[in-house]
Amino acid sequence: MTTIQKTELLRYDFTLGLSAMEGRGFYYPTDTVIGDNGRLYVVNRSLESVDRGVRVTMCDLDSEYYGTFGSYGEGDGQFVWLTSGAKDSEGRIFLTDEYLHRITTFDADGNFLRVWGTHGSSEGELDGPCGITLDADDNIYVSDTYNNRVQKFTSDGVFLAEIGKGVLSMPWGVNVAPCGDVYVADWGNDRIARFTGDGEFAAAYGEPGRGEGQLVKPASVAVDADGNVYVADWGNERVQAFDDDGNFVQLLRGEATLSKWAINFLSINREEGEARTRADLERDIDFFDAADPHEVSSHIEKFFWAPMSVALDGEGRLFVTESNRHRVQVYRII
Amino acid sequence: MVVDTKRDLKLLAHLMRRAGFGATRAELETLAEQGYDAVLDGLLETQNPQWMGDYMVRRFHHEQSGMMGPRASGENWLYRMVTTNAPLQEKMCLFWHSIFATGYPKVIHGKVLWNQIRMFRKHGLGNFKSLLVELSRDPAMIVWLDNYDNHKGAINENYGRELLELFSLGVGHYSEDDIQEASRAFTGWTIGNTEYMVLRSERDSDWPYGRISWHFDYRPEDHDDGEKTFLGQTGNFNGEDIVDIICQQEATAQFIARHMYHFFVADEPPVPAWPYTPPRDEEAIRTLVGTYFDSGYDIRAMLRTLFTSNFFKNEGIRYDKVKSPAELVAGVLRLTGEFDRPRREIMDRALQMNFMGQMLNNPPSVEGWHQGAEWVDTGTLVERVNFASEQFGDVSKSGVKAMIDGVMADEYAISPARLVDACLDQIGVIEVSDETRDALERFAAQTGEERTRGKVANMLRLAAATQEFQRS
Repeated sequence: MTTIQKTELLRYDFTLGLSAMEGRGFYYPTDTVIGDNGRLYVVNRSLESVDRGVRVTMCDLDSEYYGTFGSYGEGDGQFVWLTSGAKDSEGRIFLTDEYLHRITTFDADGNFLRVWGTHGSSEGELDGPCGITLDADDNIYVSDTYNNRVQKFTSDGVFLAEIGKGVLSMPWGVNVAPCGDVYVADWGNDRIARFTGDGEFAAAYGEPGRGEGQLVKPASVAVDADGNVYVADWGNERVQAFDDDGNFVQLLRGEATLSKWAINFLSINREEGEARTRADLERDIDFFDAADPHEVSSHIEKFFWAPMSVALDGEGRLFVTESNRHRVQVYRII
Repeated sequence: MVVDTKRDLKLLAHLMRRAGFGATRAELETLAEQGYDAVLDGLLETQNPQWMGDYMVRRFHHEQSGMMGPRASGENWLYRMVTTNAPLQEKMCLFWHSIFATGYPKVIHGKVLWNQIRMFRKHGLGNFKSLLVELSRDPAMIVWLDNYDNHKGAINENYGRELLELFSLGVGHYSEDDIQEASRAFTGWTIGNTEYMVLRSERDSDWPYGRISWHFDYRPEDHDDGEKTFLGQTGNFNGEDIVDIICQQEATAQFIARHMYHFFVADEPPVPAWPYTPPRDEEAIRTLVGTYFDSGYDIRAMLRTLFTSNFFKNEGIRYDKVKSPAELVAGVLRLTGEFDRPRREIMDRALQMNFMGQMLNNPPSVEGWHQGAEWVDTGTLVERVNFASEQFGDVSKSGVKAMIDGVMADEYAISPARLVDACLDQIGVIEVSDETRDALERFAAQTGEERTRGKVANMLRLAAATQEFQRS
């Protein structure tokens, strides 16, 4: 089983990426920011125990590689727990660090611009900032994990409003829909919470579970111009699509194929490439716990494993960033 | 039956140190209301164990989800030890890990090592025969001891040898022919996609898309189904038959019983000396062996016998065992309450365990770690004392605050003697020798009878350095 659908909305297109701690490739990527002019910014959390690999990888849909920016540390332009990203109308990249409780901005070429954020629970303070997005006016929305809220700031980081207090539990991804409503991956409540642009709670989609339309610890949400909602159903290791009313539309388990970088690696490392062609990577397995999707995904390489982000470009593509597989699966909206 | 005497608290503290990672004074008081037998039932039969949880840990520690490298599986396990309400389950994982020691340097795959510990969690308190079959099917073990290279007509004896020598019978209870026959029985027991997976392991390759978990694969065409003679029995044995015969042996029962006594009761000499050194308490071993056979090889039944026995409750064996680094670190962290949420500091705490001589999922050899006094040398002793003292000295931690509050709440804990009593109580109802007590009281007296939070914190730090706290 790879796909369940009532109506086919998404179709697999191709895969980007390669596990790489430095340079061209991704290492525990958590998010993909769709930049201007087709540029992609893949946000790499990397390992916690080494000071390598924490970076943003710049590439494009054709797997052209444009370099990296950011590094491990606590200085300007550095990160400890690099988490999510977003861009504003001028192409600037905003990145969250849920360990240092701050937001860092770079220009489109990866030059450091500024960093802000204060640890705490008062208005404007942050305790584990993770998901981030901007609206059409370049206001910033940040999921404030341990304060159980989303906060809205001006593009300069001035506090504007608090959303979802008393409703949200450890929110992760946040997105502003084309209609102006704010969608939040309400991680602790196993649902998507929808708020009006004024911050009023409007609806909740999904319920805890592993069935169609049910969610376990969703990490990210994106909404297209028709109001269709795409969810990184992280705890179920899958992606689901809902319509504007929250009705289940489609379920994806993952269909990754070899990326250009992967093909290149395997063609150079021929012994490994040839052994791979003789292996059956989709065989039936007597799983330790077949009901545990994390366990299943650890064995079946093409399946999503730790899908942490869903992001839409303006061309009808959905980008699914998978942390544990160090890649991005790209789907077409049809 | 409700127990409420200090003596009962001390016995419960002993149980929680040995069957778990210790307990706070407040936890012990709650447990005392249940009584010893009920507490033991809870330890042995914990349903639906609770801990910080996979989702919480994986959300923030991404390598503890993907587990490609050598450290994350141990860090994840440490989280379990520190936050679980089923400490005996984790203790049994440590027990089996110390016997069926499997390590990263050859396996090069953190997830499959974590999977092996998960298997111990599921089967470690169950039937020993089932556990040995699962061990023989375990992909990390199959690579660790080369059984993927054990073929019909071309046996590799590595797993067959260690199964008999280190995992069940012990030296002196089998022949070289038995090893060969056992190895023949395990031909065809391998992992799926052997060539690709072993090649990736040998190359430490996480390309193109990270590690792929391994799974057991039985290949009948590669299995030697001819007649075999093993430990005096003859038949067309497969691996399960070999395990069955192993479990029937008195030597296996004695081997497991002695390991259990060594781990939970009192230190025995290192395993290689066992053929030449009688058990410290032969009657205790006989008792455990009896339960092994009476219960049909049931580990939980053996543990129940052990923890209800006089040889376990005997005051003479308290503080007789040196805590392993994992026991010491987990015990301290449970007291300090540092990990109320996922924190990056878990890596540093696990690293300090390594400096004390124990890196989980990375034992020094297939023999595992030598327990007991061998944990302590000049260097590791400094690490152990500094670690415990440093953790107790951080008064910002909720558990440290609670311990200080507990001492301060005792209005009589002003004289040096009472202050020492109160501090030893707070770190887990610890009893100390007269010599240790004198040293603690001298320190308490140096700063007069004025009692401040800072003074109490320093007393706790000093108490953590005592040999009694470093032991269990």
